Amino acid sequence: MSAPNCLRCLVRPSAGIPSSTAPRTAAHAAARTAAPLAPLAPLAPLVPRSAPFSTTAANARPKKEAQGKDSSKGHVRAGKRLTLGKFKKDRVAEKGRPPAPGERKAYRKRITLSNDNAIAVPWLTDLSPTDLADPANIAKVLALPDEVQDQLRASEAFKPTQCWGMFRKPAVLVRKETVDVMSRMQASVAKRQTLRLALTGDKVSGKSMTLLQAMTHAFLNNWIVIHLPEAQELTTACTEYAPVPGTEPAQYMQPVYVLKLIQAIKRANEKVLAKTYTVSAHPELPQNIPANTPLLALANVAKEPDAAWPVFQALWSELTAQGANRPPILFSLDGLAHVMKVSDYRSPAFELIHAHDLALIRLFADALGGGVQFPAGGAVLAATSRSNAPRAPSMELALAQREAEQAARQKGDVSKDGSKAGVPQRDPFFRGYDDRVEAVLRSVQVLRLGGIDKLEARALMEYWAASGMLRATVDEKTVSEKWTLAGNGVLGEMERATLLTARV
Amino acid sequence: MPPRLNIWSACRALSTRAFAQRPQPGPAVLARGMADSTTSRLPEQNSGKLPPSMLPQSETPAVTSKENETALNQLRMIEYGLSSHDPSVEGHKYGVPELPLPSQKHNKHRYDAVVSQVTRLLMKDGKLAKAQRDMAMILNYLRTSPPPKLDPSRPLLPGAPPASHLPLDPVLYLGLAIDSVAPLVKLRGFKGMAGGGKSLEVPVPLLARQRRRTAFQWILDSVNKKKSRGSGRTMFPHRVAEEIVAVVEGRSNVWDKRMQIHKLGTGSRANLANPQVKGLI
Repeated sequence: MSAPNCLRCLVRPSAGIPSSTAPRTAAHAAARTAAPLAPLAPLAPLVPRSAPFSTTAANARPKKEAQGKDSSKGHVRAGKRLTLGKFKKDRVAEKGRPPAPGERKAYRKRITLSNDNAIAVPWLTDLSPTDLADPANIAKVLALPDEVQDQLRASEAFKPTQCWGMFRKPAVLVRKETVDVMSRMQASVAKRQTLRLALTGDKVSGKSMTLLQAMTHAFLNNWIVIHLPEAQELTTACTEYAPVPGTEPAQYMQPVYVLKLIQAIKRANEKVLAKTYTVSAHPELPQNIPANTPLLALANVAKEPDAAWPVFQALWSELTAQGANRPPILFSLDGLAHVMKVSDYRSPAFELIHAHDLALIRLFADALGGGVQFPAGGAVLAATSRSNAPRAPSMELALAQREAEQAARQKGDVSKDGSKAGVPQRDPFFRGYDDRVEAVLRSVQVLRLGGIDKLEARALMEYWAASGMLRATVDEKTVSEKWTLAGNGVLGEMERATLLTARV
Repeated sequence: MPPRLNIWSACRALSTRAFAQRPQPGPAVLARGMADSTTSRLPEQNSGKLPPSMLPQSETPAVTSKENETALNQLRMIEYGLSSHDPSVEGHKYGVPELPLPSQKHNKHRYDAVVSQVTRLLMKDGKLAKAQRDMAMILNYLRTSPPPKLDPSRPLLPGAPPASHLPLDPVLYLGLAIDSVAPLVKLRGFKGMAGGGKSLEVPVPLLARQRRRTAFQWILDSVNKKKSRGSGRTMFPHRVAEEIVAVVEGRSNVWDKRMQIHKLGTGSRANLANPQVKGLI
């Protein structure tokens, strides 16, 4: 093996010699010519060695600085000197301004949707309005159109833990459950009904992603989408709250959050809201809104947190006004367990407030429980979370019951006496159940997401490989390997095993 | 599944055909055959006709099912003198692994040499899994950051790929950064040998692993001095990755450390000729 360095001075031949080493070049040249006689002599001055005398005038001259020091002191102190703070680490002076409040969090939560290093996948096509409900697209990866990307970003559908930032363009895998949910949504809109569905499943099995696909489908088909991206923001007492006047028992509004929500709705649904008009006047708002005004103008009234809740109420009543010409509506929430328990807020009597007494959550719970009829139909979707979820025993029980009932209905074995044979029941020795939660979840549909099958896994891995993020041949063996490593195709685990590994 | 015949088994099959010797049944079999039936079972050797299996088949044999086809294929293989239950052909869904196993298949050598060494250097409090996750985040950062702008005065190892190729091969990127700033020597001090109680500094060459360790420790030193801009679990790996990018772009002060060590090493190599040191190195 040839050494990449010049063995004489350890400088790489390809190196442009920096200015600091320039004097050494002369020494180097001298060493070459004089090599047989005195190979090391020219390099000797570089060695910090003390010599009693020197023939060189410059070196023979005593050092000025040392002289000055000695003369100033007058004498040389013997023995130890006291040094204070000798165990302190030498801190480097911090340069620049410290990060502003919220900047660190913004850095943490920042969402990147493209990677310029990734190879553009030639066969990747954009989603069209019917694609997600088409069974022919199962096990295909399809890209999100640019406009929908902006809408999804405005409604905070992307999460920082998802791998969007690794690929050239955000794309989603169409799986069987996707097509199932989308066709249910389409069917309910065709009948002007509301689909009420809870998505559940193991950790990283794609619940939020299915929610995102549902939102994509809604945006592509000109629905109105209202999305609550993190339910915990509403119930962990981190946003302001105030009692809604004239409610008994008291309900609480969250003005700052609602203002943010209205702005998100406005940005995401701008086109549709501009073409939808109010049916009644709203004189109670800070700005008078007559009938036949675009809903966009109504949403624009919310400028201050004080007016946010009345504006949201007006918007909601307009959207659900019966008999009016309205687009279908998708109302979705991620992290269901957080809204199915007692919140961390306190009433003036210092009692904990139930999450369903918070006005915005009550609205959602009402819609999920079937209390709201959307004029053109629509869907209310809720996704559970497994990694960030408080204990909500009633929700768990209710979802398990609905699932068992669905399974029994599918099998067709409805017992004669109507008793629920395989349906889980309440534990009689446990007191933590919540009747309000069970009432809400009494009639929802439940969809459990599991692993993807190998065909879908293969499509996904081919996309990864085509993007240059998976450096392996995608054959049956590789697909099987990753699929098995991922607990029979749990989507997030497949990502962890393939993309987020040190074995690239 | 059709039998996978490789070239050697095909040759064997051909040679069998050339001699056209049907296996002669043993006398005991013959005797049994004669006892059972009146017709002769002796092979017709001089009839001049080829055995039926070697006649060109005008139509494919009637196969009733897939299992039947497999069985027929096995029979055909027996006829060719091959074992129908060859483990490399039958009974393994993905075939048998090639031996000797490649090093990446070994549990202990699953990761690239540089990656596994550096992962252990990242580790704190014995938390290897956390270090591995950090490593994965470092590699992901390298994959998603724009291609580095190389500095010609800080040349990377000769033979390095162009900068645009680096992000898509993050392991190479990392290895290249570390190997490029790795020092070639360290200075070893022999106490009291320089006279007057001073130690005699002698340059000693380093092995590849030692060089990488030194380089990465330098990188970690400058990472620990850096201020983080964000928060959360990606912060530490991102700072490390930023430093690696800085190394490749020639902005890092790790290069100065390397230069310093090399200067001292070049300067003190005269000490190698010191007679006291002779037997010690």
